[in-house]
Amino acid sequence: MRALRSPLMLAWAALVLLSTVSTLLAVQPGRVAGVAVLLAGATKGRIILTRYLGLADAPDWRHGFDLVLALLILLLGGLYLAG
Amino acid sequence: MGQQRSLLEQLPGDLMMWVLIASELLVFGAGMIAFLAVRIGDPAGFAQGSAHLHLVAAGINTMLLVTSGLFAALAVQAAKRNAIAVTRRLLAGAALLGLGFIGVKAVEYQSLGAAGVGIETHPFFTFYFLLTGFHAAHVAAGTVILALAGRWPSPRNVETGAAFWHMVDLVWVLLFPVIYLLP
Repeated sequence: MRALRSPLMLAWAALVLLSTVSTLLAVQPGRVAGVAVLLAGATKGRIILTRYLGLADAPDWRHGFDLVLALLILLLGGLYLAG
Repeated sequence: MGQQRSLLEQLPGDLMMWVLIASELLVFGAGMIAFLAVRIGDPAGFAQGSAHLHLVAAGINTMLLVTSGLFAALAVQAAKRNAIAVTRRLLAGAALLGLGFIGVKAVEYQSLGAAGVGIETHPFFTFYFLLTGFHAAHVAAGTVILALAGRWPSPRNVETGAAFWHMVDLVWVLLFPVIYLLP
């Protein structure tokens, strides 16, 4: 039971949940759903960086990648809303 | 009080693999930015293109990749414990799921081809085939890397191979919403 609650298993569960939620959001019309889909994608990216790639224990690097991911999603979101 | 680790000491795994991860993120990021920039000029055409895509297949592929990522991460932990047999089984599982991803992608491409859709049909599909095709090539390379790590499962090899695999996963969780999901 403890193994199921390990950080890796919880990360995997979060990735599955976010993927399901964002797929359901995709069939909703409107730009709010689109922005939510992008934010879910960014969150999944962060989970992979921190838990799968191990940046949870490397705060300086984690902050750097957080910044890059945030800038990318901001740019993508802006372009999406401009379309 | 413990000594603070240097920036380099903090970084898990191989520095050069992280350079690769960062550069791949930038390359695919540039592709996604270009995709959405071109979309501004023809949102209706892009919406029509998107309607041809197989959301369920892409959703299945997302589940395959995030689960294979879990197996790869668990393999790193097993390798550090010197549990070689477990490491190899987990890497094999990750690679098999990767092959599953490629299989589903092949079916998607074949289905689009049968519907007369190709790389020159519309800019949407030019981007679609280039971005997802380039990503699929990374998945294929990644399965070879996982196999090599399984053949020589030192903790360093497994960690480096798994890092490449997580990069492939990372790119997909960003590509999937941009190409398939944005309404």
